[in-house]
Amino acid sequence: MAHYKILGKDPYWMNFYGLMILTAIEVAAVGADLTQAAESLNMTEKGITLWILTIIAIPKFFMIAAIFMHLFGDEDSGILTLTALFPAFFMLIMILFIGLTHPEAATGLPDWCRPGNYNL
Amino acid sequence: MSSDHGHDDHHPSAWGPHDWHHGAPHNSWAPIIMSAGFAIFLFTLGGAYEWGEFVSSTYALMIFVGLAVIGLGILIWWRQDFSFDGSYEPKSFGAPYQNIDIRKVAVWVFLMSEMMVFTSLFSTYIRYRTGIENCKTVFESGNWVEGVAVTCFEPASHLIASSWFHIAPGAINTFALIISSFTIVQALRYAKMKDLDENTRRRKVTMFLGTTWALAILFLALKMIEWFIGFPTPGPLTELNHGHSEIASLYTEGYLINADSYQHHAYNTHYFEDHHMELPVGLVGHSGGQMMADIQVSASTFYVTTGTHGAHVFGGIVILTYMTFKAMNGGYTPKNAVGIEYFGLYWHFVDLVWVLVFPFFYLY
Repeated sequence: MAHYKILGKDPYWMNFYGLMILTAIEVAAVGADLTQAAESLNMTEKGITLWILTIIAIPKFFMIAAIFMHLFGDEDSGILTLTALFPAFFMLIMILFIGLTHPEAATGLPDWCRPGNYNL
Repeated sequence: MSSDHGHDDHHPSAWGPHDWHHGAPHNSWAPIIMSAGFAIFLFTLGGAYEWGEFVSSTYALMIFVGLAVIGLGILIWWRQDFSFDGSYEPKSFGAPYQNIDIRKVAVWVFLMSEMMVFTSLFSTYIRYRTGIENCKTVFESGNWVEGVAVTCFEPASHLIASSWFHIAPGAINTFALIISSFTIVQALRYAKMKDLDENTRRRKVTMFLGTTWALAILFLALKMIEWFIGFPTPGPLTELNHGHSEIASLYTEGYLINADSYQHHAYNTHYFEDHHMELPVGLVGHSGGQMMADIQVSASTFYVTTGTHGAHVFGGIVILTYMTFKAMNGGYTPKNAVGIEYFGLYWHFVDLVWVLVFPFFYLY
């Protein structure tokens, strides 16, 4: 269990409140009319929403991992964090080289792995 | 890798019960048998169905063989560990995990493999989402002809994020998982409290584990409502729902893995005319009508990813059922509370994945 406090309060309660607030902002951001903000930033509304969702997802991810999963503040937090990060290299490869490369892949790859061709 | 109290006289059998009094076992066939069972099950499940259609009874039979082998593996595991009260925690003495509970390290290694599973699903999603033109873009460009299906990417969020009612199940689920992550931590906290009488500990741990279980059930129930059932919006809610008395499920909306002629009201030029809306520039001069879309790839990525996550929640429910009953019988003490901690790591991971699934599959 945690041996520290956040702003003098129990870390689990504080983390819980934080996660609830961030999730509420996430849902509100999707429902909100961001047309004006999009125009002023020269972006699409979807683009702004994506940025907001990404920016909020990152702290949520770390809050759960660090506090609820005890990757912060415990004696073994350091080595277990490194353990958790071990697959990061492979994840990076998968995301970068499979997810984001070859934008023509949908039409440029062989038939069997192209969308719309299911006669395997 | 583990210390064994200087003895090496624990039970040598890879099949029988382990002698926990002399340290943790070093050998078991159970994981290998279970892995083989999962391999048979998943391979034959994939072979028995083709785009939702049942195609092979031989494969169907093998599905049950796979399940039986998984069951056998669980049985062996159960037999070996049934006598274990969890109070003895073998420590690692080798680098880099010196003096850390071996079982804890094992849970983290398991979670690492889980990360890889979900990363492959996410990279597939990103790949297709960026590689295939969005259905809305295709519709507005006018590069389609009524009656001929066009392949495009229709994100589930187009349906789900279209109104507050549609978002509701996913949003409630997000809050449910966060609350459940909190309740499992509370269960661990009370199980570990040394200055607590036995009865209060039993009551508190049962209450928090039971709440986690109930929230997990709620999660899957809402998932079923969202996918297959839908829900009514009676009375004043009808007005808020633009005059509709119900929210249709994704199934009813036709958002299916075999949807090769998907039709959405927003992809119909008559919809613009009926609502006195200006046609997108690309559609000026277009023959008009209803665009049909082949959305099999987008629907598949959605259902496979959210379904895999749902399967993890289901697995959590099975374990939580056992843990809650164990807690009801006073099975958790400060000495063996780590059992809750290890399950908690898995449960937080399930929450962690949802933190990414919800915005990118449901909202964006």
